[in-house]
Amino acid sequence: MGEFKVHRVRFFNYVPSGIRCVAYNNQSNRLAVSRTDGTVEIYNLSANYFQEKFFPGHESRATEALCWAAGQRLFSAGLNGEIIEYDLQALNIKYAVDAFGGPIWSMTASPSGSQLLVGCEDGSVKLFQITPDKIQFERNFDRQKSRILSLSWHPSGTHIAAGSIDYITVFDVKSGSTIHKMTVDRQYMGASKRKCIVWGVVFLSDGTVISVDSAGKVQFWDSATGTLVKNHLISNADVLSIAVADHEDSFVVGTAEGTVFHFQLVPVTSNSSEKQWVRTKPFQHHTHDVRAVAHSPTALISGGTDTHLVIRPLMEKIEVKNYDAALRKITFPHRRLISCSKRRQLLLFQFAHHLELWRLGSTVATGKNGDTLPLSKNADHLLHLKTKGPENIICSCISPCGSWIAYSTASRFFLCRLNYDQDNISLKRVSKMPAFLHSALHILFSEDSAKLFVASNQGSLHVMQLLEGSFKHLHTFQPPSGGNLVTGHRESLGGHIWQMKTLELHCTVPAYNFPVTALAIAPNTNNLVLAHSDQQVFEYSIPDKQYTEWSRTIQKQGFHQVWLQRDTPITHISFHPKRPMHILLHDAYMFCIIDKSLPLLFLDLLDEKTLVAVERPLDDIIAQLPPPIKKKKFGT
Amino acid sequence: MVQLRPRASRAPASAEAMVDESQPASEEEAEHGLLLGQPSSGAAAEPLEEDEEGEDDFDDEAPEELTFASAQAEAREEERRVRETVRRDKTLLKEKRKRREELFIEQKKRKLLPDTILEKLTTASQTSIKKSPAKLKEVNLQKKNEECEKGSDSKKVKVQKVQSVSQNKSYVALRLKDQDLRDSRQQAAQAFIHNSLYGPGTNRTTVNKFMSLANKRLPVKKAAAQFLNNAWGTQKKQNAKKFKRRWVIRKMKTPRK
Repeated sequence: MGEFKVHRVRFFNYVPSGIRCVAYNNQSNRLAVSRTDGTVEIYNLSANYFQEKFFPGHESRATEALCWAAGQRLFSAGLNGEIIEYDLQALNIKYAVDAFGGPIWSMTASPSGSQLLVGCEDGSVKLFQITPDKIQFERNFDRQKSRILSLSWHPSGTHIAAGSIDYITVFDVKSGSTIHKMTVDRQYMGASKRKCIVWGVVFLSDGTVISVDSAGKVQFWDSATGTLVKNHLISNADVLSIAVADHEDSFVVGTAEGTVFHFQLVPVTSNSSEKQWVRTKPFQHHTHDVRAVAHSPTALISGGTDTHLVIRPLMEKIEVKNYDAALRKITFPHRRLISCSKRRQLLLFQFAHHLELWRLGSTVATGKNGDTLPLSKNADHLLHLKTKGPENIICSCISPCGSWIAYSTASRFFLCRLNYDQDNISLKRVSKMPAFLHSALHILFSEDSAKLFVASNQGSLHVMQLLEGSFKHLHTFQPPSGGNLVTGHRESLGGHIWQMKTLELHCTVPAYNFPVTALAIAPNTNNLVLAHSDQQVFEYSIPDKQYTEWSRTIQKQGFHQVWLQRDTPITHISFHPKRPMHILLHDAYMFCIIDKSLPLLFLDLLDEKTLVAVERPLDDIIAQLPPPIKKKKFGT
Repeated sequence: MVQLRPRASRAPASAEAMVDESQPASEEEAEHGLLLGQPSSGAAAEPLEEDEEGEDDFDDEAPEELTFASAQAEAREEERRVRETVRRDKTLLKEKRKRREELFIEQKKRKLLPDTILEKLTTASQTSIKKSPAKLKEVNLQKKNEECEKGSDSKKVKVQKVQSVSQNKSYVALRLKDQDLRDSRQQAAQAFIHNSLYGPGTNRTTVNKFMSLANKRLPVKKAAAQFLNNAWGTQKKQNAKKFKRRWVIRKMKTPRK
């Protein structure tokens, strides 16, 4: 199999940002997740929960609400008072419209999908019309005294429930006037000085309004009379989110303690027609506040401050009991945050607003398998590169020779040259960028570090030549319409491969249903290895323009069950220079070597997240999160 | 109005005093003569206007006759004079103010942008983003310029964009007042949510305690997750280190016996 010295790197202090909102789109089975740093990620739930797109964050954008409308349009609203629409094809922001109501706390789309409602800080509820290319302000509803924190439309589109501080209002959509104002008790059976914040409301088609508030209660109201029907106290802490299924027979709530409760509408006795809402299942998958929940037809989705996205399929809804029916916990982003320069043993870590360059430590000791060797020279923190401006870094890369660093934000592209002399390092930024290089989705250096490939979000690939002090643009590949991207980009459904020397379209890899999660080209044999999100691995020979023999036999035999049941996608593929028969791949939990000569795989399990063995123990992440709710345990 | 004057004494020394006092009194009287008619008090009827005459025989002289007409004429003169002065003052003030206004307008004009840019901004507000081919000076467009907002709606339009082809720059004109308001509101909103989730009254604990809870309940009790507090007593530790270093040096210096 081969022996390796494994560098176990634990100094990558990466803390993902907490999840703030989650929105599920039924038609395309996609999930949009927005985080506290402004990043919006789109997960494709049918493609094995793969994160296919993401929009980088921005410091000023504190999203508080996210919703899908009118088909496949995604809107978000935040505390800067603007409603933002995202362009899912071009992966940027289409436009931002100021709502002029102060910070926006909640947003919801009408059942027909043609109107958008926002609840603002000043107590106003504003109605917007969704036009094909923009949104337009229509009118204001009656203004309330305190901020509107949650909104919900009646499925018929005639009424709206708005949750505020200490009360819930029911509006009539046509006239915009309030019909009922229902006061919420500050504490379950008692009085309290702290105001009761209604964190979530849901309007059911039979006129029931379900509200969750900061006193830990779930309350059922009758909107026709404006009275309280039922009161459930489920937690000592706030209940922060609620989501109802399309059939309105179950809903899910998330609390600040990290518990997620499932409520279902069950008949009172076994054959009566009368039904009532019963709390059926509690789930404790989170350690911190659960700030967003969503209900898909078959699963409960929850996300919160502890940065995990948990998808819990409901057993009774699943027809086929296969591996799909297990819990999915998505912790780490499905994209590469670390790049490595092999020659100089440097690692470049990408954070939201800065980059860190480290040199790996070295050791002279030798030992047997499984030994931990002591370091003779510790890892060195060489460089801390901060970006200017409020935008997050999208992607970064360091060249294999270690002298170029390139990174990109949503609007600019940066290229820096590093000079090493003895132990010092100096950085010089290449100032003039060509005009067409705005933002890159993916950056890659060629093996000899003379060429830089930049995949821009307009769908074209630019090739730059790197010279001593400057760089010059060589060529731009424009993919023919329909194709998305090229080597180095994971999102393509059908990839095109270009011949480097002659700079022309060489061949096209046939498309496959599932998106590609990782690809790499083997240096010696010039084979392209693709890994897809459904755990299939293909090998494609570039000179021959067809699948290799090995790949065909693998497909015929099928992968092993254990291999297919892995739930995290393969994030990186690399090759051993001396052993062309080996392919190294890894995902969040496992690192494995595929030996092509053997009939199947060799699994070598290591710890979490190994990428050139960079580990990120979950405890370290938890240690840097905001404080959780106190739990009183007996005996402590 | 009618003042009781001291009776004219025979002493000559007090004559001037009396005469001095009488002059203003008599004028007053003359003015108010129309209102009061004849001076009523007996003391006032005394002949006090004879300043030209000598002190010797003003006692025997009859008081000078002051006709009503003359008094009236004098009063009118006085009034006219007063009115004149007031008018003059007013006109002077008016002129002063006018000059000041003009000065201010001049200064403001100098402070504002040249007309070319303003024109462009107002036209740009009607059509969304317009490329202006003319050269634009390097001006800081973030000043408060009310003229800019003339062409736009009252309070709705806050941001206008102008693009200049020649210098490849794009300008955004903002009203600073609005930006401050927006920031303060955003901060208030963030403070609200922080208070409601992490503020007083919420039952929050530290991450260390949370993660150590499991350790406490194990059959073999373990320490907390972050048992050592490395930040404890940093000043003391620093002082101790310094002291140790100095002590060692001192020890090295003194020769051993």
